[in-house]
Amino acid sequence: MVEGPLPMNSSPINGLTPQGKRSLIEEELKASVAWLIRLRWLAGVGVILTAWSVNAILKLQLFTFPIYLIGAVILVYNSIFYYIDKKIQSNPAATQEYTRLAHWQVGLDWLAMILLIHFSGGVESPAILFFVFHIIIAAIFFTPRTAYIYSLVAVLLVWLDVGLEFLGILPHYPVEGFLQEALYKNIWYVLAILLFFGATSLISAYLAISINQRLRRREEEVMELTVNLQRATERLQALNDGARAISSTLELSEVLNRLVKNTAEVMHVHACFIRLLDKTGQHLERVADFGLSQNFPDNGSIDVQNNPLIQEVLSGKIVNIPDTSQTSLLQYPATTIREGIHSMLVAPLIGKSGPLGILGVYSHNVNHFSKDDETFIAAIAAQGSTAIENALAYQAIEALDATKSQFVRMVTHELRSPVSVIKSLLRTITAGYAGGLNEQQRDILERASKRAEALQGLVDDLLDLAAGKADIKSHGEMEPIRLDDVIEQVVKRFEISAKEKEIDLIWENHISEITPMVKATQEGLDRIFNNLVSNAIKYTLPKGKVTVKLTRVGNEACVTIEDTGIGISEEAQAQLFQEFYRAPNAKEMEKEGTGLGLVIVKDLVKRFGGKIGVKSTVGVGSQFTVILPLLLQ
Amino acid sequence: MNKKSILLVDDDPDVRLSLRLPLEAAGYEVKEATNPTEGLASMKKEKPDLLILDVMMDSATAGFQFALDLKSEDPKSELKAFKDIPIIMLTAIHDTTSLRFSPDQDYLPVEVFLEKPVEPDVLLATVKKQLGE
Repeated sequence: MVEGPLPMNSSPINGLTPQGKRSLIEEELKASVAWLIRLRWLAGVGVILTAWSVNAILKLQLFTFPIYLIGAVILVYNSIFYYIDKKIQSNPAATQEYTRLAHWQVGLDWLAMILLIHFSGGVESPAILFFVFHIIIAAIFFTPRTAYIYSLVAVLLVWLDVGLEFLGILPHYPVEGFLQEALYKNIWYVLAILLFFGATSLISAYLAISINQRLRRREEEVMELTVNLQRATERLQALNDGARAISSTLELSEVLNRLVKNTAEVMHVHACFIRLLDKTGQHLERVADFGLSQNFPDNGSIDVQNNPLIQEVLSGKIVNIPDTSQTSLLQYPATTIREGIHSMLVAPLIGKSGPLGILGVYSHNVNHFSKDDETFIAAIAAQGSTAIENALAYQAIEALDATKSQFVRMVTHELRSPVSVIKSLLRTITAGYAGGLNEQQRDILERASKRAEALQGLVDDLLDLAAGKADIKSHGEMEPIRLDDVIEQVVKRFEISAKEKEIDLIWENHISEITPMVKATQEGLDRIFNNLVSNAIKYTLPKGKVTVKLTRVGNEACVTIEDTGIGISEEAQAQLFQEFYRAPNAKEMEKEGTGLGLVIVKDLVKRFGGKIGVKSTVGVGSQFTVILPLLLQ
Repeated sequence: MNKKSILLVDDDPDVRLSLRLPLEAAGYEVKEATNPTEGLASMKKEKPDLLILDVMMDSATAGFQFALDLKSEDPKSELKAFKDIPIIMLTAIHDTTSLRFSPDQDYLPVEVFLEKPVEPDVLLATVKKQLGE
């Protein structure tokens, strides 16, 4: 029997998977089958029309009935093919059916063709040349071998018909009026036609098959390129996605877990692991893995010195072990093979300051990893190293920040209590509870008292700042709070001091349609506005004006504290929210001040999900704006 | 009329001094103790009209524990005689630190908290109020 129409067993081209290649040829076969069915409608109708026109127009005597019949039969079996084609089109896995359909089509066409030749004069029939088209079609459809076999069958069928007619075994149906003599009995003519027909058929087959083969090879090359390109794009995309996923967090464990998962997925392997060097640089700790079974033993920390594989990787090399049963590099070959790890690829993770650890992938298959994979894992490792290094740095900074805050808090406590005792003691004297004082003594003690008070203010601010940075809970839980109430209380608190300074303190609430609730702590909110209003009054000259205004902008509450005070220069505005900074004109006006108030305010506003900004002109006034998200149902 | 007596329990002699001066100037009889044990001994000898208690003594919460014991609802409490003595608790702890305590009637039945440093005027006003004067 002939082979299937597809060159599926031809040698695989590098890079083109058998699946990809097969799907390409399947698509081609499907298209060819449909195309042939479309052509055959014309062929069937053409046979009938030709027979009719030969009789009716050319007035030649043709034995028409069987030819009409052949035309009709062609149309009938084509209808069946059409129906079958439509039916199996919906089934994507119908390769077998398509192959069978192709053989049926060509087989029936061969039969129709030979019958047509027979009933239109055999060796005298002009239709004999039509067989060449069929041979070309077969060359397109089938593998070279099958196409040659079909060509040979065609030649043999013609020879058989002509021979049998020559011998008188089969009747001869001449086209009367076409040829003058009965050439079918002319041995030289018959032999010449048979020879030329045979040669034409086989040469046509050879040419068509060669051209088709060349085309197909090209197509496969294009397909291979497409597949390679697709894979390259996929990898780039994956690398890009991975980079984004990894760098979107600074949490070390999260970075490591994402890295192993992404790497395994991108490289299409079942497992991936990361080991990082400990502080001594002598041991590798298992820090993250993906895809390993529960049974895979945790070998704990690995001594770099005892492991030749790791030594090689840490020296900066990518190690590709194509077959784990054939290497001496592994420390635990038995467990590795038991886990189903048959090949592995390990790359170094190298940071700016030296090796960080190793990243490796495991495959169930021997010889899994190519040169391309080596380049690819190197890219992943480079990317991963940066992410790991960033996360490590972040971890260190966080730890440092926590230590610092803790320290500041402790120190401040120790500072605060003696200062408060000093203050109390001084007050008992200045308030006259410890006997009388002369004017000078009182003055001196009052000065000392004032300085103690300033010191206490500084310590309190520092404590706030440290507490704020250390943990949010120290300010109490955040809860929904009425913003307008808090501001109103703060404004009330300053009414007296404003009056003393003859400052017009105005409070305007422009939110009436809803209750302006914000998520914050009572103390924190109080602190924010206390500070801003107190500053506004402090730095506004007598007979000035301070306006506190609450408005709503979309889903946010906007509080502005505007004064007609001394103003803040642009240079000072840039540094206003920095620790211990005080604007020169503010210092001039008010000697006391820690330069921490606005830092604390900004810190608090940020924690409540808001923003703070300042606009100011020296000598005209300042406007501080606090924006806080509103709780809307 | 007898002088009202006030017991000061605080481990810091400077604090005790700064409180005692204004209180004595205002005509109160002031007794001192450096810790709850001493304080209790003093109370048993002579029952004070008011207790001023520092929150931080031997340990960070010794003052609290003492207040809790004194105000115990347990009828068998050996301290039930002192249950009705008003307590002013002094906190040296700034209100924004993690060791933040606020008057919580359920948790700590203290009449009032004062934050150190205490202004003499504030102290006297608070004492007067607690003594119902």
